[in-house]
Amino acid sequence: MSTEPALMTLTEVAKAIAEKKLSSVEVTRSCLHRIAEWQPKLNAFMAIESEPALKAAAEADAALAKDGPKGPLHGVPLAHKDMYYEAGHVSTCGSLIRRDFVATTTSTALQRLKDAGAIRLGTLQMAEFAYGPTGHNAHYGPVHNPWKLGYVTGGSSSGSGSAVGARLTFAALGSDTGGSIRMPANFCGVTGLKVTWGRVSRAGAMPLSQSLDTVGPLAQTAEDCALMLGLMAGPDPEDPTASHAPVQDYVAATQASIKGLKIGVPKAFYVDDLDPEVARCLDATIGLLKTEGADVVSVELPDQRQLTAACQLVLAVEAAAFHKRWMIERPQDYGPQVLMRLQNALAVSGVTYLEALRWRGAALAAHVAATQGIDAVIAPVSPLVTPSIAESDVGGAPGAEAVIQRITRFTRPVNYLGLPSLAIPTGFTATGLPVGMQLIGRSFDEATILTIGAAFQRATDFHARVPTLP
Amino acid sequence: MTRPTPQQVSAIAEASGLPVDKEVATRISDSIGPAFDGFAAIAGTLPFDLEPSSYVVAQTLKVGR
Repeated sequence: MSTEPALMTLTEVAKAIAEKKLSSVEVTRSCLHRIAEWQPKLNAFMAIESEPALKAAAEADAALAKDGPKGPLHGVPLAHKDMYYEAGHVSTCGSLIRRDFVATTTSTALQRLKDAGAIRLGTLQMAEFAYGPTGHNAHYGPVHNPWKLGYVTGGSSSGSGSAVGARLTFAALGSDTGGSIRMPANFCGVTGLKVTWGRVSRAGAMPLSQSLDTVGPLAQTAEDCALMLGLMAGPDPEDPTASHAPVQDYVAATQASIKGLKIGVPKAFYVDDLDPEVARCLDATIGLLKTEGADVVSVELPDQRQLTAACQLVLAVEAAAFHKRWMIERPQDYGPQVLMRLQNALAVSGVTYLEALRWRGAALAAHVAATQGIDAVIAPVSPLVTPSIAESDVGGAPGAEAVIQRITRFTRPVNYLGLPSLAIPTGFTATGLPVGMQLIGRSFDEATILTIGAAFQRATDFHARVPTLP
Repeated sequence: MTRPTPQQVSAIAEASGLPVDKEVATRISDSIGPAFDGFAAIAGTLPFDLEPSSYVVAQTLKVGR
């Protein structure tokens, strides 16, 4: 356990506060100190709320002394992607259009974390309206990778990945519609959980695509993600799509053994055309999982390119439908990349959109049939190692669109199928940039992929490495 | 199903209430075209009774071990 509070895991710091080994004020000061050092380099925060955070921390300490812990996150300062509404607070959604938008309601996910005792540290940068996979933002500037400035964080939860990676917040909410939690987790060397569609309420979270949007955490460890998910999962009267499926004991799952679990390695698509360093990392991860007792087998999945295509059609149309009014009234207020992506929907007829939605159940059933007997599928999050901000800037670099298409190639099928997927750091490139893998699970079985992720992290230290201030 | 031409994009955009010029229509056609190519094998082949809500049913399918 680190002596600098900000470097502790969420699980460690929550326990230390509850046991009064650390005060919430000490912990919050430690985070604010690191934020002051790193923010000028990273641009990870949208807003830093130092004074309110310290005031809330002092109140949390007083409440703990008087009444005991409010919940499992008592006094823990957290910051989240700036698209989770909190009544009375600005939620920019990474946009110019909502620069001054003050929410009148609080998102269910955020409220459940507050109910568990978490306090607000500020808000985190993101791709404009969560519609970009790299971390570029035309209005607020790019977010930088804490492992190497000038390199992308991945998006759209760019600030969440960067801030957790640099240990500026113990965990952060992200959202994953086409890979927006897993890519920042992958490129920033943290753990990110894309949940089953319907597992966590989306009420009060900025929408992008109602059929694909999911709310989930990024944190240092699988155990931390399990803690966050357990607090947020479950039905919600404010979101009829939030499922009544039983909520598992995710934290307990992280203590289980992976002996006898069957992990599938795809025969194609996810192993094709990989950067050699990603391929090396995949092989090493498979080897370690075998050593830990998992039964690793080959699996032939249905055509993933068709799933990617269907995902793109659904996402494009649903996003444009949400944005239509602003596309008419304020097109000049969008960043060029985001407006271009929104306009892509204008090629898709209503019939094509509905066909892409109608196929979803059949496609999921085909996946279930193909993975009979398999507990999780392992795959890289991205076939590429982390690109630079310059080479992935659609506004400037030739070939940037091709880079963007490639880095999102392995994430979209999971969104279309609505499956859970845990991204974990599994190695580093020769130049010191993180490489991650995703563990793709069964619908509403986040527990099993958390079990595997936690077992991997008990046997490795990739998740525990901390970048140094450049 | 083939990828939409710029002319078809212009027509759909107009009907959507978001008209675009020829240059933008061409860019959209190029950008979204691969998604149409990828979905071509599925388009027009789905059984009559398949509803979007079948997805929620598929989420509850159990995987045997």
